[in-house]
Amino acid sequence: MDTLNATIPLEGYLVVGAIMFAIGAWGALVRRNAVVVFMCIELMLNAINLSLVAFADYLPEAGGAGVGYAVLGIAVAAAEVAVGLAVVLAVYRTRKTVNVDEVNLMKG
Amino acid sequence: MSRNVVHSALFMSGSFFGIAGFFVMLNAPVLAAFQVLIYVGAVTVVILFGIMFTQRPQVRRFRTILQRQHWPGLFVAIGVGAFLAYVLSIQDWTGTEPYNGPQETGTLGEILLGVGGAPPIFGLLFEVISVLLLVAMVAAIVISRRKTGEGVDRQELE
Repeated sequence: MDTLNATIPLEGYLVVGAIMFAIGAWGALVRRNAVVVFMCIELMLNAINLSLVAFADYLPEAGGAGVGYAVLGIAVAAAEVAVGLAVVLAVYRTRKTVNVDEVNLMKG
Repeated sequence: MSRNVVHSALFMSGSFFGIAGFFVMLNAPVLAAFQVLIYVGAVTVVILFGIMFTQRPQVRRFRTILQRQHWPGLFVAIGVGAFLAYVLSIQDWTGTEPYNGPQETGTLGEILLGVGGAPPIFGLLFEVISVLLLVAMVAAIVISRRKTGEGVDRQELE
């Protein structure tokens, strides 16, 4: 484990986090299915968590606070997916669709 | 990008598992356990439930799963990625070394409660996140509850 860790700099984790965030943003912007949009938002939150934990482990003066923020982020993501799926189910029950560009109830 | 939504959910679960592996490599095994329990376990199952409740047989064409704004969306996502890569490249990352994080579970617990040298704001954040989870649970039940008289009962169908 020591030799495995010593070869990976901080930028490696940050690059993976950036790529995951960009993929999640792309999916959340272009997909129509609301459930898939939620999955992409989860992907973005995971990328943020990965960056936070990488900073917490690599920066000497961080004091490991990033891990605490990551736990809070996981809790927020769990709450978000619970409420979001409930909203999607409610919308599906009234509109019979989950496509985000067809849900225009609030358009005047 | 998979045409089948269930395949997308399973691939998402796989990527969450990979992130858990990254957490182990970053000396945070407790967070990896959280990740496996919450994301790979709970969130994937909830999303699969959402897919099962809302999926209709649909035309499996590439156009039907994308919005009309897919080219602007692609440009925005590429812009976000380019901006993140630029920030990564202009920053000087010397002096960063591993093994600075909380490697013991007790240290992580002290950070979460804001005691023992951790920023004391974490105590407040811990309470706020507890209230947020409770509110989200109640809200999920209230929103997804079917009101009496709405919809079709199963007995009427038979």
